[in-house]
Amino acid sequence: MASSINASTSGPGGVITTADNSGILNLQSGGNTVATVNSAGMTTVGTVNVPNTFGFKNRIINGAMVIDQRNSGASGTATVYTVDRWYFDASQSSKGTWGQNLNSVTPPAGFTNYLGFQSSSSYSVGSTDYFGFFQKIEGYNIADLGWGTANGKTITLSFWVYSSLTGTFGGALKNNSANQCYPFTYSISSANTWTQVFITIPAPNTGSTWLTNNSTGILLYLSLGMGSTYSGTAGTWSGNNYASATGATSVVGTNSATWYITGVQLEVGSQATSFDFRSIGTELALCQRYYSKSYDLGTAPGTSTSLGMISNIASTTIIDMGFRYPVNMRTAASFAIYDPNTGTAGNYAYGAAGTSGTWATIAQGSTGFVIRPQAGFGAGNGVYFHYSASAEL
Amino acid sequence: MYKLINSPYTNNPISVLKIADNLCIPLDPNNTDYQAYLKWVDAGNTPLPADEPATGA
Repeated sequence: MASSINASTSGPGGVITTADNSGILNLQSGGNTVATVNSAGMTTVGTVNVPNTFGFKNRIINGAMVIDQRNSGASGTATVYTVDRWYFDASQSSKGTWGQNLNSVTPPAGFTNYLGFQSSSSYSVGSTDYFGFFQKIEGYNIADLGWGTANGKTITLSFWVYSSLTGTFGGALKNNSANQCYPFTYSISSANTWTQVFITIPAPNTGSTWLTNNSTGILLYLSLGMGSTYSGTAGTWSGNNYASATGATSVVGTNSATWYITGVQLEVGSQATSFDFRSIGTELALCQRYYSKSYDLGTAPGTSTSLGMISNIASTTIIDMGFRYPVNMRTAASFAIYDPNTGTAGNYAYGAAGTSGTWATIAQGSTGFVIRPQAGFGAGNGVYFHYSASAEL
Repeated sequence: MYKLINSPYTNNPISVLKIADNLCIPLDPNNTDYQAYLKWVDAGNTPLPADEPATGA
């Protein structure tokens, strides 16, 4: 038994107290216990609404799906990065459409964006098929979890999800080598309604390998349909490469089915806390460790525009042009150059007429790059280009 | 298809160009595009040779 303090929600109202000598105190609302206090501390039920944050509480970057540097809100079907840090993964092409705020449903309270998927067929997944979104969390950002050691910490995954389907859905966490995987399930009981999901995950097996450097520490996979080869028993760690739970609902299996997600948070502890809202500047900078561009935030690379372009005036027929990334990237980045006039990838532009030209690489690293535009321009010509750079995991 | 890019200073490869995407890839084992390039080479493929170095180095 336990003592209790109950804030009544019926009858004459008021506070109802009961007492015993158990040393346990339940805090109740309408007779439902929302927190229990004992000699070990306090345990809560549901979300703990903590208005402040604890440093880098949420290890997921862009969990509120706000930053979309590559697509600027446009939808797509290809297996590429969608909103920042979230990759659309599919073993078969043309089975659905993804996009930021796809189909324009109202996000859950407190959020303005979500990542959406809509199936375009009734595809029956084969044993080795896979469909879903994933985010790879850099090893540096999970080093404190102590995973693989005897002091590994429990974590909690939480998110808001909305689907035209109901049932049990699946996903998984896995390490870089995909030889430590934890399939999980979550339920959606009401169609076309935002549902908040909480999943507590124990530390993985002692001796398992979890990278704590600039490679992948944890991969979070949210399944939209998974073949039996990559589906395993929910709620237990496995040495097999699983990306979802056996028997989970296949979104790609129903034509026009929708699935939307936002507010994804992965944090230390066995209790979900309020979503770690970060400033737009902070969230963008976190994303730019993996992808950046010279275009304005709302402009997709390859757009014909001078806004944000890099330019210089040539004093001779040779010019080297360097650019430093807005933040140091995870590792030496791959980059593409775009003609600001035409948007054509692979070319820079020069002169008042905006003639396109090719270029050579002088240097590239995690902090920036230097290119040398090739012959064509002359002394006094403007030389200009846009770039995008990727150092994704 | 890929093409090697040489430094105009050393005339040694410093990058690989992924022609389909016009993507300039560093020779960095932690770069996932470079990892994909190495798998492509391991599969028996050969990149196009680098251009002659730019003048004026």
